[in-house]
Amino acid sequence: MNKQEFLAELRRGLQGLPQADIEERVNFYSEMIDDRMEDGLTESEAVAEIGSVGEVVSQILSDIPLTRLVKEKIKPKRPVSPWAVVLLILGFPLWLPLVIAFSAIILSIYIVVWSVIISLWAIEVTVMAGILWGIFCAVSFILQGNAIAGLISFAAGLCFAGLSIYLFFGCAAVSKGILFLTKKAAVGVKHMIVGKGN
Amino acid sequence: MDIQLKRGLLDVCVLAAIKDKDSYGYRIIKDMKPYLELSESTLYTILKRLETAGMLTVHTAEHDGRLRKYYHITDSGLRRIEEFKEDWKEMLSIYRFVVKEDENE
Repeated sequence: MNKQEFLAELRRGLQGLPQADIEERVNFYSEMIDDRMEDGLTESEAVAEIGSVGEVVSQILSDIPLTRLVKEKIKPKRPVSPWAVVLLILGFPLWLPLVIAFSAIILSIYIVVWSVIISLWAIEVTVMAGILWGIFCAVSFILQGNAIAGLISFAAGLCFAGLSIYLFFGCAAVSKGILFLTKKAAVGVKHMIVGKGN
Repeated sequence: MDIQLKRGLLDVCVLAAIKDKDSYGYRIIKDMKPYLELSESTLYTILKRLETAGMLTVHTAEHDGRLRKYYHITDSGLRRIEEFKEDWKEMLSIYRFVVKEDENE
């Protein structure tokens, strides 16, 4: 791929971002390729070193907040005509529920994701509470003179302690995994907004 | 490595790369290469962030018949490097303490 092809494809991939942003990014990569060529690389080697356009676009998108992309997307490209305003007002029973539904879907996805994380940690907290409960019961049984029951309670407390340690690492790993996946998903959503075909 | 920590480190690395002499994108990447790999898009984000924070200024100059952007460190950028050095002096003493604890085990 030569420099012009790379830059043209990058420009297509970033379509949907503010025009000034696109220009700046494209100039930045153009300079990067020129400097590599000055350093002795051939044009195609220089382009290859930058990486694929798809990778570059994904990286750029992951750095830009979703809200900014949406804002740019809904900003009208040309001045809105009076008829468009009339249509917008008349069509309000149609588009308002759609907007609400869309936001509700996004919101519910977030809630589902966070519910999983919160429930996991709730289990962890419950198990940790079990440790205290075991010790508490052990002490009260022993004070009542029931040594065997006290010992069993203490053992239960220890079991909970062991379990909570395992669970802690499990919870941490799962939370990290889920957050990583949501980040991936966010890039996917951004790809739907930005890029060719829009 | 922790993302926040890494972000802070990268910022200071880029500032250090332009500390003595104004530099440009490709050169910053090349200068940093022996220490850490930096992709173009990461560098772009860092440069933007530092520019917004007022730690560097950008100027365009002609080079070999084309335009090239040069980055110049500001006083506040220099201060950031000094802060970093102070912070890490503290970090290092904590590190030594931690390592010593390990050795005594």
